[in-house]
Amino acid sequence: MNKGSGLRVYAIVYLVFLYAPIILLPLFAFNDSRVIAFPLTGFTTGWFAAMWEDEQLFRALRNSLIISGSTAIFATTLGIFAARASTRYSFPGKSGLLGLIMLPLVLPEMIMAMSLLVVLLWIGIPLSIWTIILGHILICTPFAVAILSSAFQSLDKSLEEAAYDLGENAVSTFRLIILPLVMPGIVSSLLICFTISLDEFIIAYFLGGSDTPLSAYIYGQFRFPARVPAMLALGTILVGVSILLLSIAEYFRRRGLARTGAKDTGGFL
Amino acid sequence: MNPRPDMIEFQDVHKYYGDYHALRGITATIKAGEFFSLLGPSGCGKTTLLRTIAGFEGISSGAVMIDGKNMAGVPANVRPTNMVFQSYAIFPHLTVEQNVGFGLRKDPMSKDQKARAVAEALEMVGLKGYGARAAHALSGGQRQRVALARALILKPKVLLLDEPLSALDKKMREQMQVELIRLQRQVGITFILVTHDQEEALVMSDRIAVMFEGEIAQLADPETLYRRPNSKKVADFIGTMNFLPARIVSEAGGMVEVEAQGFGAMTLTTEQCAAAGADKAGAMVGFRPETLTILFDGQTATDRETMGTVAEVVYYGDMTYYDVKLDGTEVPMRLSMRNVFGRPVLDLGTRTRIAWSPGALVLFR
Ligand SMILES: Nc1ncnc2c1ncn2[C@@H]1O[C@H](COP(=O)(O)OP(=O)(O)O)[C@@H](O)[C@H]1O
Ligand SMILES: [Mg+2]
Repeated sequence: MNKGSGLRVYAIVYLVFLYAPIILLPLFAFNDSRVIAFPLTGFTTGWFAAMWEDEQLFRALRNSLIISGSTAIFATTLGIFAARASTRYSFPGKSGLLGLIMLPLVLPEMIMAMSLLVVLLWIGIPLSIWTIILGHILICTPFAVAILSSAFQSLDKSLEEAAYDLGENAVSTFRLIILPLVMPGIVSSLLICFTISLDEFIIAYFLGGSDTPLSAYIYGQFRFPARVPAMLALGTILVGVSILLLSIAEYFRRRGLARTGAKDTGGFL
Repeated sequence: MNPRPDMIEFQDVHKYYGDYHALRGITATIKAGEFFSLLGPSGCGKTTLLRTIAGFEGISSGAVMIDGKNMAGVPANVRPTNMVFQSYAIFPHLTVEQNVGFGLRKDPMSKDQKARAVAEALEMVGLKGYGARAAHALSGGQRQRVALARALILKPKVLLLDEPLSALDKKMREQMQVELIRLQRQVGITFILVTHDQEEALVMSDRIAVMFEGEIAQLADPETLYRRPNSKKVADFIGTMNFLPARIVSEAGGMVEVEAQGFGAMTLTTEQCAAAGADKAGAMVGFRPETLTILFDGQTATDRETMGTVAEVVYYGDMTYYDVKLDGTEVPMRLSMRNVFGRPVLDLGTRTRIAWSPGALVLFR
């Protein structure tokens, strides 16, 4: 066996381990049995129907949409400021400050969730979807900064100077030149932050009050074996939505590169 | 040429980047309607000086005047200058038309008038009918033209060009040089060109400021720069110049008696002397390759004559460069001869007569 085929076997095994569980999700979501086990007994769309009639689930979905939507908007807005500052201005303590912003990327989420919970309880802020949003902004902002920094970085500084030279001021230059050119990055950041927030569990579980988002709701439902297939059906839909959103995000990131004529240095995907 | 008013005036301009002294006392004037070049090696401060005119770079001390007005505190977006950037800075998300008309956004003229102005500007730079094209799909030469049209449509008092031709291939560059000259004559606007290419500066400019390390070493018209460089550094930077050691024997009444290796004794005028005031031991005479002529059979020198041996031959088609070791010298000198039909190219080692004239020499001391 030569070196190349060895690598190929490794790659295939790796991919199987990575994706096989995800393939099992739709498999059992369409399986006509309450028991999650092989052999499959028959095809049904009943679990999707059961899911459809679950009012609590829709409440959880509504909560999730509010949380993920707000998180995406806030994190991306913060990301725009941070990316702009980090690519254009230099000020004392800049790298330290950026390091702090990026820290949640490597900090265990558990630690983040616990420390936030302690602080919130200490200040006396009641837990609600807004405390979840706060936590999600913290973990999503680093992703937004990373995506937007690369969008701002690929922007030629002389484009701004040219607009200025042609009579525009700082505000109109931002609106007419910078914003349109980094828009693909902004869209991509919104979508990725939304997806991360939608799938996030630990913070949602720790910082959530009575209004649970989808992830925490699904976890709760797993205590009832009869509910599991319906949750797998929901999971199947979520996987589909996530893949769709991330693909759109990647599409916008690539289009942004093509528009500014920059070279692809690899993104998140 | 009738005297033109001053358009740009630098008064002892200094610029520091932190501790780095980028501009070291620039004093110069640029006349209205002039094609002016800032020439120098990379890193000498050309772009910095150009950007102080545009208003992108503040100065540490001194003054920059445009059309008699001190530009201190005047931001770039209201200065009567426009710039063609080295990268062209074409807005990639707009069409050619939108790029060219960008500066007219706040102009009170009607939509029709604007469209006409854009069409005229495009025609002027040879891009008639390209208006609807997407800017990011243009070639380098076309981008350059769009950048020119976009700047000229605002009818600035001064057009600033930062190495606009350096990204183009040789043929395109030569074509654009001619077009830029034509364009400048047509619109009559003061053009200030930054370049590190001495040939480009000589071809295009009315006057050239040669810069080294944040200072202007010489400011003159191309012919003066070429024939009478004021220092060895300028002479080295512009074209090719040969140097031979020399000794100054005496100096009186505007005449300098010089004894040069290979040439012997001669009398030069003080106009032929560059940078006075150095010690006499290190003096040198310099001459351009085309000022010495190889004499073929039957030709005679009109002035003085010496002998040499051909040490190297470089054939260029229309020209041949010979490295010739003049009798009594150690280092071969570069000579250029225009090739004439029916005249042979000399072989290596050929002994040949060479005509020269003291009037074509420059004395560096
Ligand atoms: N923004 C800046 N900060 C620090 N140094 C700079 C800056 N811009 C230019 N310089 C320095 O100033 C010198 C002159 O630069 P520049 O004017 O761009 O040179 P040129 O255009 O002649 O090649 C260079 O040594 C360059 O490194
Ligand atoms: Mg430069």
